[in-house]
Amino acid sequence: MATVPIAQPAESVEQRFRRLAAVWRRETAHLSSPTKMFAHPAYQEIIGLGRDAVPLLLRELELNPDHWFGALRALTGASPVAEEDRGDVEKMAAGWQRWGRENGYR
Amino acid sequence: MSELESLFPRLSGAEYRVTSPKDWRYNCIAWAAGDTRRWWWPGVPPEDEGYFWPPGAGDEETLDAFVAAFATLGYSPCEGGQAEECWEKVALFANAEGVPTHAARQRPDGSWTSKLGRLEDIGHPLRGLEGEDYGRVVRILRRPRVSTIQQSDTPPLG
Repeated sequence: MATVPIAQPAESVEQRFRRLAAVWRRETAHLSSPTKMFAHPAYQEIIGLGRDAVPLLLRELELNPDHWFGALRALTGASPVAEEDRGDVEKMAAGWQRWGRENGYR
Repeated sequence: MSELESLFPRLSGAEYRVTSPKDWRYNCIAWAAGDTRRWWWPGVPPEDEGYFWPPGAGDEETLDAFVAAFATLGYSPCEGGQAEECWEKVALFANAEGVPTHAARQRPDGSWTSKLGRLEDIGHPLRGLEGEDYGRVVRILRRPRVSTIQQSDTPPLG
């Protein structure tokens, strides 16, 4: 649990994101608590990539959806989830996609 | 040893079975509550990530808030996890710090069913999921059984 492989030299932001996302998925898939999921070192390292990670997260939400809401929230400060969509992760993801388009990420 | 048994060592040698595909759309709390459309977890809107939590149930990750969430569905605390024909039961798990981690729902035959994070639903012995990640069972809740729909693993609100 909570192992993050050492970064490879000359790794691009996208490569690093993919490596960290794979670790995070593998090690938190059985957890229900977003607090626990988002506290995982790999997830925190993704947040540490900064705004460069936002387009990667938005694309991942579209192609291979998962709980990237905490990272997007931490990196952008936005809250695009409508009250009536709370908990519906597909609609939450759609809300973030919409936010991305409105903010020049697509 | 299977992936699930490595995550939950108490499942090794126990009677359990996977009863659904993996699904990222609902979690254990939702499953125990009979909802397969939403991910339930407390937070403080609009500062949180946008998960569902019953209004008025308390926005903190405390056992009281989880008991209050199930109280909105008619559940109240009771003593034991044994099967009782007229009652349906939910078990709440918490870690060593008392922070809720998981919920399981009892099936009419007395066995338990859980959604494991973004993984599958499984049928399992109640204590089979206790351990490092889920902690232990800390509270049993019950409500009057109202329908034979609950005979299946498919919850009424799916």
